[in-house]
Amino acid sequence: MSPETLQTCHGRALAVAARLRLPLRSRVWRGQAGEFTGGGTGSSLDFQDHRAYSPGDDPRHINWQAYARTGSYTMKLFREEVRPVVDLILDASESMFFDPVKAARTAELFYLIAESSHAAGAALALHAVRGDASVALDPATLRTHRWLETARALPATDAAKSPDLSKLPLRANAIRVFLSDLLFPGDPEPILRHLGQRHGSLVIFSPYLESEARPAWSGNYEFIDPERKSQHPHRIEPATLKRYLEAYTNHFALWKQHSRRHQSAFARIPAEEDLATTLFREAVPAGALEPSR
Amino acid sequence: MFTLANPLGLLALLGIPAVLAIHFLQRKAIELPVSTLFLLERTQRDAASGRRLDRIIPSVPLWMQLLAVLLLAWFLAEPRFQKSGSVQRIAVVLDSSASMGVFKNEALTRLAAELPTLQGPASTLELTVMESAPGRPRLYAGSSVEDLKVALEKWQPLDGLNDPSQALRLGRSLVSREGTVIYLTDTPVESLPFDAKLISVGDVIENVGFTGVTFATEEGALVWRALVRNYGKTDADRTWSMMTSSGNTEPRALHLAAGSLVTLQAAFPKDAKNVRIALSPDRFTLDDTLPIVAPAPKTLALFTATSPAFADLTTKLLRSLDAAVPTNDAATADLSISSYDPLDPVLPSGNSIVFVEDSTRTGAYLKGGIVAEASPLMDGLNWQSLLVRETIELDRSPTDTVLLWQEKRPLIFLREHEGKRRLCFNFDLRLSNAGNQPAFIVLLHRFAEAIRDAKVAPTSAILETGQPIKVTAAPDIPLKITATGLDGKAIPVAPVSNSAPLVPGFLTVKQNEDNLLDAAVFFADTREADFGACGKSDITEAPNQSTIERHTRPDPLWRVWILVLLAALLVSWKFTTPRSLA
Repeated sequence: MSPETLQTCHGRALAVAARLRLPLRSRVWRGQAGEFTGGGTGSSLDFQDHRAYSPGDDPRHINWQAYARTGSYTMKLFREEVRPVVDLILDASESMFFDPVKAARTAELFYLIAESSHAAGAALALHAVRGDASVALDPATLRTHRWLETARALPATDAAKSPDLSKLPLRANAIRVFLSDLLFPGDPEPILRHLGQRHGSLVIFSPYLESEARPAWSGNYEFIDPERKSQHPHRIEPATLKRYLEAYTNHFALWKQHSRRHQSAFARIPAEEDLATTLFREAVPAGALEPSR
Repeated sequence: MFTLANPLGLLALLGIPAVLAIHFLQRKAIELPVSTLFLLERTQRDAASGRRLDRIIPSVPLWMQLLAVLLLAWFLAEPRFQKSGSVQRIAVVLDSSASMGVFKNEALTRLAAELPTLQGPASTLELTVMESAPGRPRLYAGSSVEDLKVALEKWQPLDGLNDPSQALRLGRSLVSREGTVIYLTDTPVESLPFDAKLISVGDVIENVGFTGVTFATEEGALVWRALVRNYGKTDADRTWSMMTSSGNTEPRALHLAAGSLVTLQAAFPKDAKNVRIALSPDRFTLDDTLPIVAPAPKTLALFTATSPAFADLTTKLLRSLDAAVPTNDAATADLSISSYDPLDPVLPSGNSIVFVEDSTRTGAYLKGGIVAEASPLMDGLNWQSLLVRETIELDRSPTDTVLLWQEKRPLIFLREHEGKRRLCFNFDLRLSNAGNQPAFIVLLHRFAEAIRDAKVAPTSAILETGQPIKVTAAPDIPLKITATGLDGKAIPVAPVSNSAPLVPGFLTVKQNEDNLLDAAVFFADTREADFGACGKSDITEAPNQSTIERHTRPDPLWRVWILVLLAALLVSWKFTTPRSLA
């Protein structure tokens, strides 16, 4: 993709980011001080609770009025305000970018999540993974659109395999956004379990092409595997196509089922439609995004 | 039932794979990048590479084109349907030579197998089966192959080598030009007359057999000498033994090199009648046993009444004639030799040879051309070098048959009176060079043998199968002919038969109770015993065009099929055109 195309995608993402945001406020955060309500007590002005004094507590927060009334030390507890933590994991396999439409949608979603995180003041970490290779992307490259080159340059021994997320430095208590078309064989369970560890919460954006979801194949085809660049002759007949569609549906039904079990938001985003329209239709009901106001 | 007049038209069926190939080639593979290949491969094992031709995607043009190809093949193959009542006439000439006996079963099996092909599209078969030897009754006439097999079960080919031309001509005349004439033999021939077709079922087999027998008298004993030949191309080991009514001799081993002849000899058993010399059998059994009897020709009693001047001549004649015995009784003599003396002109009354005796010895040599009359006695004899002096002449009657003339003078004449024959030499032998003339000697022998043949007397002989028998019998008394095979069983013989049986064995001809002939009959056709030229050949052809047209009618719906073919092409074109335009 050219920088101009990426710039266009960025523009569209920014426009959508003004109307939609990551569901950061729907959960309790822990971490560095920020503008989101933390899970613990902090130094904000919002009163939260009282409790008995225990040695070591900050004497500044002793409720002297209560001491006056009761004669016992009572501590005033205030709500903690923290910065949310967002780990954006991009599936940089070839299948995400071989089709220009799908590639544009992937870039738009990538920009949207990043911009949404920025807008929320979240601590954003970007990761690109391709097969067994992964790399941390510098958030500064978002503006220069150099992130894509870095991600696409990932060397992988077998890019068609399911992404190896074990090497990613996932942070605790982070909201983890996994941007992938999920078109790789294998059980979703290990990936989802890994992404949900250390109190992480998971949001999955899965862009897809209508031409793959509902293909109109018939006859002889030389299918080209974008990952391996290999050719696979096939003859597609109605019965074959029917079985393919069943397999496609079952594949994503499995992902959706496992995502629900892991309390993850799972949104499949068609690549051909307008970004805002499709996000309102697919991502918002799925809980992957929420309206800004 | 239908027949294809042009089976090559079925080559049009090759259009089916061509149409299928075109349909598959038209569906050229589309190159398409797809990221869901793992889903496709997981669910679509049977659509992988190499299985793309296992199913045909039904399409109207495909089916229409296939239908068009089928109709085209049907049309080009020119199917013809059998006419009811069509008849194919087939005349089968069976080679009746003895060697066919070895391959009889194969021949009948092969014939039964070939007949349906020869019948072709005809609804009925009309069969006539006859032997190749002329003058035989037909073996079968009918339309059933099963009946034919039954009829030929008893057929036994026993003849010597024979020419099938006459039987083939008869067969062709029976089946007319449209019919088929088959010559079923064991030896392939290059060409057959009368447009006959050949089926040869023979095979080169090894054979050892007797070829003939001779007799000689050694030290007062009769000795037979039999010639055994190995016709094969490899050495052969056999045993032989002599069988008489009193018993058999021990089998003796016999080794014959390939193609060699070996002579067996032994004394003929005294007082034995029917003797058989048997070789250990092989596939061709006719020549494995040699029946023999002690040969005994009819004796000829010679009475000589010549002057001493002819003594030398009569002695020589007596010595040179077989089974001739001298006798002193002119009345019982079969043949008298006498000289004519004008002073004593009495001649013997029976069969006789008469010479002129002229004691003057003064005559000049006769002049003029020597001309022989046509007579069995004179046949083929050359008298041109005969020199004769003028001598006295015999009295000649008008009924005499002159055999040899010199100018107008008869030199030799034959007088026949009351069944008696007299050969008269009308010149003095001593005053001529007749004694040195081969024609003279041959004439004397012919005359003597004619006298012997005419004599009613018992005789024993070795005959070949099918050989004409010459038996002189008393008039008006029927003959009784009996024949037995080598196994001692009687062989049916026609009451008036003038030839030996075709089966080896023994033959007796009697008149009243008098034996006229005791004979041993053996198979002596060595051409039949040699299987070196036998072989298989198959030159029968499929029914030709005219035969098919005669027995069948064309498909009445062929116009409809053409219309359907055109319609199929149009439908195919209609369904194909929009797609190609698109």
